Amino acid sequence: MSGVLRSEWTKLRMLRSTWWCSAVYVLVVGAFGWLAAATTPSAPTADSAVGVALIGFAFGQVVLVVLGVLAVTGDLGGPMALASLAAVPRRTRLLAVKTAVVTVWAALLTALLAAACVLAARTLVAVPGGVPVTDPVVLRAAGLQVAGAALVTVLAAGLGAVLRSTAGAVGLGLALVFVGPPALALAGGELASRLSQALPALRVGEDAFLAVPTSWPVGLAVTVAWAVVAWALGAGLLERHDV
Amino acid sequence: MIEVDGLTKHYRTRVAVDDVGFTVHPGRVTGFLGPNGSGKTTTMRCVLGLTRPTSGTTTVLGVPYRDLDVPMRRVGALVDPRARHPGRTAHAHLTALAQSNRLGAYRVDDVVDLVGLGAVAHERVRGFSLGMAQRLGIAAALLGDPEVLLLDEPVNGLDPEGIRWVRELLRDLAAEGRTVLVSSHLMSEMEDTADHLVVLGRGRLLADLPMADLLGRHASVRVRSPQLTRLGTALRRAGAAVSPEADGALRVEGLDPAAVGDVAFAAGVPVHELSPVVASLEAAYLELTGDDVEYRAGMA
Repeated sequence: MSGVLRSEWTKLRMLRSTWWCSAVYVLVVGAFGWLAAATTPSAPTADSAVGVALIGFAFGQVVLVVLGVLAVTGDLGGPMALASLAAVPRRTRLLAVKTAVVTVWAALLTALLAAACVLAARTLVAVPGGVPVTDPVVLRAAGLQVAGAALVTVLAAGLGAVLRSTAGAVGLGLALVFVGPPALALAGGELASRLSQALPALRVGEDAFLAVPTSWPVGLAVTVAWAVVAWALGAGLLERHDV
Repeated sequence: MIEVDGLTKHYRTRVAVDDVGFTVHPGRVTGFLGPNGSGKTTTMRCVLGLTRPTSGTTTVLGVPYRDLDVPMRRVGALVDPRARHPGRTAHAHLTALAQSNRLGAYRVDDVVDLVGLGAVAHERVRGFSLGMAQRLGIAAALLGDPEVLLLDEPVNGLDPEGIRWVRELLRDLAAEGRTVLVSSHLMSEMEDTADHLVVLGRGRLLADLPMADLLGRHASVRVRSPQLTRLGTALRRAGAAVSPEADGALRVEGLDPAAVGDVAFAAGVPVHELSPVVASLEAAYLELTGDDVEYRAGMA
């Protein structure tokens, strides 16, 4: 197992696309967060100030869809799969380690960015009583952000395994997390708003981005379900299919 | 040792491999021959667990490939020279493969030098020619110093020097007691390389025999005499198949030159020429695979 882990880290690390995605993620989340905090003179509570600073994740997480898909399709989507699966014939294990590596990387970046966003809210937004970093409300917002980002990455990796096509998986991933939920929210009506809530919308702190609102435990549970189902389907298809 | 037993693979509308069985033994180079689309690649991918057979079994060193924990230490494979990520360097590609099978980093440097990619090891493989990609694929196959090697069309795209290098490499590996299965659709590539041949045609096993037997099977004797009719009769009586050649000689199959001479002597027929004719492997191979195509066309 440790061998496969090292191998998957090498595969991720030795691609320019990984570093491009990471750089764009950091830049988008950091720039939007700083801009939002800097243009917000004051906020009533600590969690609303942090929520403002986290707004960059609404757009930044789009990059995680690309990163998660590429981690899988770059290795298993083309002829490279022949070499990878001949080297590691236990396919589900390979996909699990591959997903774990890219997800941990995404979670790590997100944790650092969330900390920076909290810092921006603390220094740039005037809040009565300040923004104490050990406040459970602040910690929860940051923690939910890391969880949301990790789940989006798992979902993207799962879609990559299901479709084994970069363009197809990125397209479907963006439709599910970025386009679908706000579009359905705009459409209005009972059915559309239910659907909007049932999609794994990108989350900004405790809230769903522009989708019909859900409480964070419901939103998280929906995204967990999507990620688990997509990943399990991807693993099942990978086991069965000829390369 | 590679064992294939009753292997059958159906794709949606096509039978790629039809009840094929053979064993590849260590210590010799086994050539895996057949025209394009005869099922060689499908058979090799089934052996490597990349393709799931419709029925039948394959084992490597006595176990199904997918049961091997770190397969590269036991089995090396070149499946497709495109099996690489264009954005990674050759060195990174081999390093990731080596790590996945817990092979030391020094093995990467070893095989890079062995296949002659030292100068381009740190370049992205996107720009590699087919020949360089083949060398990279061979390097990957050799990473784990495996006792079994399966190479699918390894000399495709190589220059003459590269072809000779692969030939010598395969012979050396077999001489060390390893099992070597190497596929090709060109008989000429096998002529100086393989000791044993497994021939497929349209998904069926056409032949599984030592190289020398294929030559022997298609050997004949050419004989000239002023009394062709008497000689022909005597030879047929001795059990040979006799056919006239265009230039007036006789082509005799089923007897060796000494026996043909003895028959002529016993019949009191003068002989003006008596020579063994060794069929070229290419001709023998075409005859073998050509028959299969005719047979199939006749059936349809």
